[in-house]
Amino acid sequence: MKINFSLLILLILFIISCKSNNSYDPVRSYSDIQKDLTAKFILAEDSSVIELPEGHFLFDKSLSLEGKSHLTIKGKGIDKTVLSFKGQTDGAEGLRITNCNSITLEDFTVEDAAGDNIKVMDTKDITFRRMKVAWTGKINEDNGAYGFYPVMCNGVIIEECESMGSSDAGVYVGQSENVIIRNNIVYQNVAGIESENSDNVQIYGNEVYDNTGGILVFNLPGLSRYGRNIKVYENNVYNNNRKNFSVPGAIVGYVPAGAGMIILATSNVEVYQNSIKGHKTGGIAIVSYELIKAMDEMNDEKPDEAELPDGIAAFNADYKSDPNYDPYPGKIYIHNNVYDNNKWIPDLNSDMGKLLLVKNGLKTPDVIIDGILPDNYLGENGRVNDAYKICIEEEGVKFLYLDAENDFKGMHENVNNYKCEQIIL
Amino acid sequence: MRTNHFIIILTTILIIGCNKNTDDKVEKTTAIDEPVEVETYGLGKAWLSEYGFFENELSQLKPVENVHPYEINSPLFSDYASKKRFIYLPEGESINYVNEGILNFPSGTILIKNFLYKKIQNSESPKIIETRLLIKNDNEWKPLTYIWKEDQSDAYLEIVGARKPVQFISEDGELMDIKYSIPDLNQCQNCHNKNEVLTPIGPTAGQLNKYVINNGKKVNQLAVLAGNGSLSGLPELKNVPIVAQWDNPGHFSIDQRARAYLDMNCGHCHNPQGSAKTSGLNLTLDEFDEHKLGINKKPVAAGKASGNLLYDIVKGKPEESIIVFRMDSDKPEIMMPELGRSLIHKEGVELIRQWIKNMDE
Repeated sequence: MKINFSLLILLILFIISCKSNNSYDPVRSYSDIQKDLTAKFILAEDSSVIELPEGHFLFDKSLSLEGKSHLTIKGKGIDKTVLSFKGQTDGAEGLRITNCNSITLEDFTVEDAAGDNIKVMDTKDITFRRMKVAWTGKINEDNGAYGFYPVMCNGVIIEECESMGSSDAGVYVGQSENVIIRNNIVYQNVAGIESENSDNVQIYGNEVYDNTGGILVFNLPGLSRYGRNIKVYENNVYNNNRKNFSVPGAIVGYVPAGAGMIILATSNVEVYQNSIKGHKTGGIAIVSYELIKAMDEMNDEKPDEAELPDGIAAFNADYKSDPNYDPYPGKIYIHNNVYDNNKWIPDLNSDMGKLLLVKNGLKTPDVIIDGILPDNYLGENGRVNDAYKICIEEEGVKFLYLDAENDFKGMHENVNNYKCEQIIL
Repeated sequence: MRTNHFIIILTTILIIGCNKNTDDKVEKTTAIDEPVEVETYGLGKAWLSEYGFFENELSQLKPVENVHPYEINSPLFSDYASKKRFIYLPEGESINYVNEGILNFPSGTILIKNFLYKKIQNSESPKIIETRLLIKNDNEWKPLTYIWKEDQSDAYLEIVGARKPVQFISEDGELMDIKYSIPDLNQCQNCHNKNEVLTPIGPTAGQLNKYVINNGKKVNQLAVLAGNGSLSGLPELKNVPIVAQWDNPGHFSIDQRARAYLDMNCGHCHNPQGSAKTSGLNLTLDEFDEHKLGINKKPVAAGKASGNLLYDIVKGKPEESIIVFRMDSDKPEIMMPELGRSLIHKEGVELIRQWIKNMDE
């Protein structure tokens, strides 16, 4: 009887340690099709299908596809066909697709690339369907940066996919247009889904949990194009409280753990009918690039000190010379979401989290506005300039206006200030 | 006692079972089997010798009449390999001079680049590893790669690339043991990419504007090409641009040398039409905007490759500059350039380090 008891405890410990959500350890048994598959990628005829066989296949360099049209690459299912780039010595990506037209990837897994699992660049119409991208082993900063990484593409569909373990973003779309990200499962990344400098993006029906930040809509300066027209709806975003495991140089390094959504310096964004629950820092944050820059300067001057900013001073940053970049968010419409964010201590590893704790106590806001405003925030008639209007139509939402620009003096919780008579998108 | 024993064994098994697949190191080698028959897929000739670029013994690389040798001022670093470059011109054709960009080569031109190590462990003679061709037809360039046989008698077409173990002796007399990477055809375009069109990188007027020893005499390469009718439209040499020799401090300033080095080693991707255009970093010689050159510029998507550093270049502080961190790495997820080397180019890193150190803060 005593033996059984010890065994039981041991077994429980074992199950706990193995099932810990800080590691992903699928069983793999590799075989080699590198030469054969590389040749198929090089020689593929337009309008053809490359069939990937069932099995686990190890590659020591990136597989690249270049200048092809109407090509489908199809596996036997995410659990059956696995392309692994574990220990690769050549190239940083797993799959690299450039300068193509109408490419569809379906039914296989790509894992353990040194850098990004799947990078797609300068391609018109790229579809990922029932794919999985992941990093095996411990979930930490040694993992690659991006899972799905289409950049400078026109026509992107990412659907029914799974992405985990990215030390930057699991599903990332950058400098692209006409993007649909739907019905994916995204977990255990720093950023779950990130739309960066992209135009006409729809993010819906996704299950996003256990990331540092759930869904990010970012606009960063100095890039080839700027984004707008983003719709985020019917997503289930919950418990994104994972400790940030990116590096300080990366922009997602600023994301505090426990952030459901962040809208950064982007215009024309509609967020509706999402469920945003279980976040310890905030449900939705609407912030300007000035805030990032200010946090940056704070880091520069006091790298080890946990001091709070005392107001955000004017600074001269290079992005101000870019006439096409607007560091302030605007034309934001937030409505009909469901919230329940009651974890009580915000992320104390981030400046934002500390700030919230000191200024707001143990109340996790559902919607936060940083309150750093452009000079022309108010028009000549004294009303808010349409370009910077934020409309929030939510019942019983816990709201927080930070007034970061004025040393938090004008901080308030009155969401009625953001009820709009007329919605401008 | 029996119980304890049992539990210990069980624990051990569980621990082993639990740790499985987490930290095992995977190494994979693509074995090189020299083919007897070469599959060409209709892309080019099976063997290098079939082109007839070189006379007598192929490995001597002694060019026939319409194959012209050339050097460039600041080459790309390729794991300390030496390069012997040639231009094949079709009968009666000549290159048209242009001041900026790649010289205007006639259709039918083939650029030939041989990669070799001069000093090889346990060998008296140099060893040629691969020969890359860029073939121009109807205004389009196509790449092909030939891998040299161990006996150096010929080289065969290989489209999927390979890794070849090489033991060479460095200039400091050190034995270097590397797995030299020969690119597959799709990888060629990663670097040879301008607006999604495959383009040569090296042969610009400024890079070829170089004095070489020819038949015991010091002559300008461009003048030689013009003299034998292979180059038309060459202006007076004083009006031809010149790219600095990165390793010639006697003739060129550190700024000129660093910029030439960055142009050749980074600028082929880091330019507004190149593969790294999404980074917003432009390292070509014609960029003068400090921010676009990386000074106080934050990385866009470097991820952990930023090495916990905030900016590409911090004036006066090479140790805080991401550019130095990435050049000084040989990890694939961090290193720059990301293709074409497995070793760190110590001399190149030192040049860029000094260049940044010398910048006024």
